[in-house]
Amino acid sequence: MAESPSSPIKSSIAAALRETVSPPPPPAASPAAPSAAPAGSAPSSAPPQSELCTIKLDGREVQAKKGANLLEVCLAHGVDVSYFCYHPGLSSPAVCRQCLVEVVGQPKLVPACFTPIADKMEVNTATPRVLTIRRQMLEFTLVNHPVDCPICDKAGECTLQKQYQDWDHVGSRSSIPKVHKPKMQDLGPHIVLDSERCILCTRCIRVCDEVAGQKQLTMAWRGDREQLTVAPGHQLDNPYSLNTVDVCPVGALTSKDFRFTMRAWELFTTSSVCPGCATGCNVEVHHAQGEIWRLVPRENLQVNKYWMCDEGRFAYKDVRHKRLTSARIGAGRGQPAQITSVDKAVAFAAERLERLVSSGGTIGLVYSAQTTNEALFALSQVAAKLTARGASVRAYVSGAAPRPERADNILRSADVNPNTAGAKLLAGVGAGDAKALLADLTAGKLKGLWMVGTDLPLGEQAEFEIAPLADGLELLICQAVHDSPLLRRAHVQLPAAAWAEVDGTFTNAKHMVQRLRKAVAPQGDARAHLELVTQIAKKANLAQNEKWQVSARQAFLQMVAEVASTLPPGADPAQSVAAGFAAADWGKEFLPVQLRFANSRG
Amino acid sequence: MSTTTQSKTGPRKLAFGMPTPDEIAAGGIPGLSARPKLPVDLMDKLNASELEEVEDIELPTEPMQINMGPSHPATHGTVRIVLTIDGETVRDSDVQVGYLHRCFEKEAEYATYTQVFPYTDRLNYVSPLLNNVGFALAVEKLLGIGAAIPERAQYIRVIVGEISRITDHLTCLGASAMEVGGFTPFLWMIKIREWLWELLEELTGARLTHSYVRVGGVSQDLTEDFIARLRATLNRSLEPLAECEKLLVKNRIFRDRMDGVGTMSAEDAIAMGWTGPCLRSTGVPYDVRKDHPYLVYDRFEFDVPVGSVGDNYDRFAVRLEEIRQSMRILEQAMQQIPPGPVLLDEPRICMPPKNAVYNTIESMIGHFKLIVDGIKVPPGEVYSYTEGGNGELGFYIVSDGSGRPYRCHVRSPSFIITQSMSKLILGAGIADIIPTFGMINMIGGECDR
Repeated sequence: MAESPSSPIKSSIAAALRETVSPPPPPAASPAAPSAAPAGSAPSSAPPQSELCTIKLDGREVQAKKGANLLEVCLAHGVDVSYFCYHPGLSSPAVCRQCLVEVVGQPKLVPACFTPIADKMEVNTATPRVLTIRRQMLEFTLVNHPVDCPICDKAGECTLQKQYQDWDHVGSRSSIPKVHKPKMQDLGPHIVLDSERCILCTRCIRVCDEVAGQKQLTMAWRGDREQLTVAPGHQLDNPYSLNTVDVCPVGALTSKDFRFTMRAWELFTTSSVCPGCATGCNVEVHHAQGEIWRLVPRENLQVNKYWMCDEGRFAYKDVRHKRLTSARIGAGRGQPAQITSVDKAVAFAAERLERLVSSGGTIGLVYSAQTTNEALFALSQVAAKLTARGASVRAYVSGAAPRPERADNILRSADVNPNTAGAKLLAGVGAGDAKALLADLTAGKLKGLWMVGTDLPLGEQAEFEIAPLADGLELLICQAVHDSPLLRRAHVQLPAAAWAEVDGTFTNAKHMVQRLRKAVAPQGDARAHLELVTQIAKKANLAQNEKWQVSARQAFLQMVAEVASTLPPGADPAQSVAAGFAAADWGKEFLPVQLRFANSRG
Repeated sequence: MSTTTQSKTGPRKLAFGMPTPDEIAAGGIPGLSARPKLPVDLMDKLNASELEEVEDIELPTEPMQINMGPSHPATHGTVRIVLTIDGETVRDSDVQVGYLHRCFEKEAEYATYTQVFPYTDRLNYVSPLLNNVGFALAVEKLLGIGAAIPERAQYIRVIVGEISRITDHLTCLGASAMEVGGFTPFLWMIKIREWLWELLEELTGARLTHSYVRVGGVSQDLTEDFIARLRATLNRSLEPLAECEKLLVKNRIFRDRMDGVGTMSAEDAIAMGWTGPCLRSTGVPYDVRKDHPYLVYDRFEFDVPVGSVGDNYDRFAVRLEEIRQSMRILEQAMQQIPPGPVLLDEPRICMPPKNAVYNTIESMIGHFKLIVDGIKVPPGEVYSYTEGGNGELGFYIVSDGSGRPYRCHVRSPSFIITQSMSKLILGAGIADIIPTFGMINMIGGECDR
């Protein structure tokens, strides 16, 4: 570690925050490149030589695509040019004037974010002239900025703070009173605006215009009285409104949900995937003190770019609330069940399962699309063992009901299950759906039912009504994250860990197998679905110490190997889910990083 | 009361129940007759040396393993020594450190550079300011601002550092004297130490865990009358110090446990990585302040005392003399200290003034970033070493460019010297362990970092 330990360490953190598990479907040429490329860099596949041009960047010859954005070229080559209004996912209006650089031959400084590069261009980003102007722009921005850091939600992940400390860091020269603007304006269901803090970069306006496609925000007034506002009678209520909080370089836009709950720099970040729908937006889970405080999008250009929907951000609440935290066993048929330890419940389940197998009778296995691939793979292994023992086994894929009204062509999908593709593949070709399950229950075709995830495409009321159907079963084993009417009818009720409490993978609608990482400890006695399946299989003498029973990673490796073995070589992940599995990679393990040291925000 | 008291009932026993002379004369001392009688030939021997000549009484012994510590009342430091003894003689020993382990190095990886200072206070906790200074110098070396530190801050660091060295040595000498039975020197030396700590408390706000030094200087200027009070305190401490010296240097009991006990040769000491007073006791005049001057130590005149035998007494004498030399340095520093700022004027390293923090956004941000993100230290690695209370105190820091150390290792002199403990007490008597251990001066906090 003699010369510079910085780059490997920092880049490993950055990679942890950006990394995708599965390589992107379309190019698939260089699987390593996309995760390592910094924000806004040129595409990884090298363009033909004719499209390249050479510029001189701070005296260094640099090659880039002709016409590329100068600011992006600078960032890709490690040249730090401060900026506020530029965002890699949005258009560049060059309003903040913070990225002014010197182009030799041009009389005035030019905004890098608005300048396409041309051959033989000579750019200087660190001459005294540029540095002075950069400092003056910051001084100008700070003239009317309130002394709010101690009470500001953005403090610690604030771009203005960062740019000041990096480029200005001299004291105030101003003695005139600051211009005051309205504070605490309610903009919509999720957002509060503090106009005094706003530095007028218009990123939020562009997020609404370009990402959500709804023109809800605009600037009003002029000069030092200019402020952000919504049109009269409207509010900021598009389904992507909370992205404005993320892109806000200061604390002007704050989330009502997160406001004043936690200081940003104290949070730890773990990369994961949103469990809200089949899109599988990559997220950072921000947690501290064993609780999740918010979800923010994590850059993945193949899936969600830099964004996620408002609903998805609240997915963490399910991890906190209405949890099943202890195991219960009982006589079924809605009779009160007794709380017991998970081990006892597992032993009870195993014993009853063995009895059922020896007595003969069809056993239903429910693969919930809300559950990780690894747990479902384990269940499919159990299914094979049961069949080998002579039991008749039926597989069903279940999950929450689709919500067509939320589908748009941006990120939100009608399928609100994160792992439908994976569940369908792992349950096998002959698997029925939830309708088939209800039909079989009604017809009394099943003697036993083992549900890995109790999610059904029914509302709570409907579920309450169908719950008595379970009374015909000799054995109902439910592994569930949340309490539900059907669960109450089960003979064995096992508490399962939620998505943020386990390691595993989800397969999204684009067949990309994406990695979940354990952010917080499971609540109460809850254990991962995979662990519960493993232990029941062990106790029931179905499988002892097989690879998938060792750890989530081992289960993943076995699953990928088995799925890949069924495929012809060179299968396209875009065409089949199995090919997506075959291309999947578990990724590295990372310790959660505290945001103040992660260098990822602000 | 040596006489019997007269009363109406005749002569009485002495107040504390001793038999009266009459009773003794009558031979009626209760219990005496019941004692077993020793062989007459042994009773005839008058003193111990004659007793040893009697071959018959050599008792058969076999090696025995016993624990000394980890919570032994006579070791100042939590350490476990597993002894194999043959009678009174130490045949083997296993010195086990780690009972005060508080993960300094790991904690430092999770704290900003400024937050590490309170941890350094707890390394060698009888001279916290020397550790403060050592760590600050390491970070400054990595930042490349060593030469820019204001001169007044450098003098203040020397002053508080030398005061700490005095308190360190006083604790070591006083406690060691107490452990071999001399309680008075302990009380007097601790009294002097307390005067000095009161002075430091007035300056830093804390009696023991000062956290006074900052990267770029010190946290605040000397109090108005600090110099005058320090001078007075030093003058006042000369007399009790001299008395302590008299009480110990010519004390037969003390000298018996010091002279020729725990002897180390200069070659072995160097081979074992000894530094500080312990190394100097063997005759090697290595002192970081002289050999690799840092801060403003090259401007002071002071001697490096060395011993000749390398035994406990030499270690004692070297420390005693170093107290005087530190006083010499203090005297010169008090004369030379210039006026001026005590903290570097660099907003990316040092905190802006509080008034500006509360009233301007610029300084508020500066304050905020320094607190939350820490001082951004350029990537690289550094080893910086100073003369601590027990020897060369080195900090090895690897920076990854973030606000906290990627790795922080401390070369703590105690840890390295303690490895020789087994060698020093091999063949010594059990009673020699305590003074030898005392003169090694293992400080648990520093040893078990």
